[in-house]
Amino acid sequence: MKRVKWLIALVMVVGFASMSVAGTLEEIAQRGELRVACQTQGPPFSFVDKNGKRAGSSIELCEMLAKDMGVKVTFLDFDWDGLIPALLSKKADILAADMTPTIKRAMKIGFTKPFMYTGSVVFVKANSPIKTVEDAQKAGLKAAVLLGSTGETDAKNSFPKAELKSYKGGGPLLIDAVLQGQADFGVNDSSAVIGQMANFPPNSLRVLPDLLSKLPLAFAMRYDSQDLLELVNLFFLNAGLDGRLEQNLNYWVNTLDWKKDH
Amino acid sequence: MLETFNFRVIFEYLPLFWSCFLATLWLSAAGLLGALLVGTLACGLRISRFKLLAWAAGVYIESIRSTPLLVQLFFFYFGLPSIGIRMSEATTGILALTLNSGAYMAEIVRAGIQSISHGQVEAAVSSGLNYLQRMRHIILPQAIGVTLPPLLGQAIVLVKDSALLSLISLPELTRAGQIMTSERFMPAEGFLTSALFYLLIYYILKGLTHWSQKRLIYMQT
Repeated sequence: MKRVKWLIALVMVVGFASMSVAGTLEEIAQRGELRVACQTQGPPFSFVDKNGKRAGSSIELCEMLAKDMGVKVTFLDFDWDGLIPALLSKKADILAADMTPTIKRAMKIGFTKPFMYTGSVVFVKANSPIKTVEDAQKAGLKAAVLLGSTGETDAKNSFPKAELKSYKGGGPLLIDAVLQGQADFGVNDSSAVIGQMANFPPNSLRVLPDLLSKLPLAFAMRYDSQDLLELVNLFFLNAGLDGRLEQNLNYWVNTLDWKKDH
Repeated sequence: MLETFNFRVIFEYLPLFWSCFLATLWLSAAGLLGALLVGTLACGLRISRFKLLAWAAGVYIESIRSTPLLVQLFFFYFGLPSIGIRMSEATTGILALTLNSGAYMAEIVRAGIQSISHGQVEAAVSSGLNYLQRMRHIILPQAIGVTLPPLLGQAIVLVKDSALLSLISLPELTRAGQIMTSERFMPAEGFLTSALFYLLIYYILKGLTHWSQKRLIYMQT
């Protein structure tokens, strides 16, 4: 019996030692599937449209990427603050959202080169007395921000006297809070606010003209997926050169053309 | 697992966890008090002689017991403002906890009262006590000994239910774990710390249950 146990142990050791560490690209190729962590409530980058289908700029870019790679794409839904934990826990290979590469985030995950630039803006109800950023800096006001976003950090820096309400989920929750009066103003990315405003009654929201910050947006991967990171950077380079990226951004982000179909 | 745990960051976030722990205690206590009041009232209505009151209480209890607390919470949080009622998140949360646990407590109290053997009721009636006197001197004191353990059990459930209030942006214990996850990307450390604080509350309530059992044991015949 002792000899049998010893033999089993030996087989296990040899078996584990011969397991090669495959790179992420090899794993994806073997699986035939690229797993993408994305939001459900993040128009115009990733959302569920009125036909119940997944749509958005990041969704389309990932579909293009998977087609170029020759694999199928699977989208996994998360709240904004759940995206990075999903990537780190290996539930997804790539994080595709309008996420800014901050140093804090880059301590844990690797970002591609930016595919576009935006900035944080302040938005208020259309009939709000707040007209400028200085108005919003008065004490005692309530600011709606998204849990784990750069808007949350920008709001902490720009409006230290405001009471911050962090919502878990997505940008539309902030707009809802401002419209319902639960917050006096909201802070989020300009590209997200413009895209999400379109789902609410027209002229109910006003965006203040000043940009609080300049933010690049990029996709993200774990640091152990360096091969995938190089590939996605190459994808953005190619898509930039052949015009697909510009077409995607013009349709989804720079205009409201997507509203017609989704 | 523990070698990769970043304890330094946990210590850094302890003030946040402590303030959220106190918030959870306060929310749970308020919810518990409300639930006791609502539960006793609903129970009284449920066993009253007036069919209409009994039916109304029944509707309340059944609709709460048949739907998830999360659905009730979202209903209050998103639904009430759209009909004009605006409350703070804390009020909404306490309201949801109160109404939810109140229904379960009504059933617990009802079971306690109805567990008192009918002989006691007959003896009280034949001694000339009216309904209120009967309740106050004979039925309720005996019912308390029977009802207290399940009530405290429901209290423990209520504390765990308060975790759902994190989804309406209330700064409580689960939200503290979410904040640590979103700021430092350490969900394991964050939620383990939250769990340890919940464990603390559980042991306090469990101690209360044992103590009350000892004190009330003479009540059980």
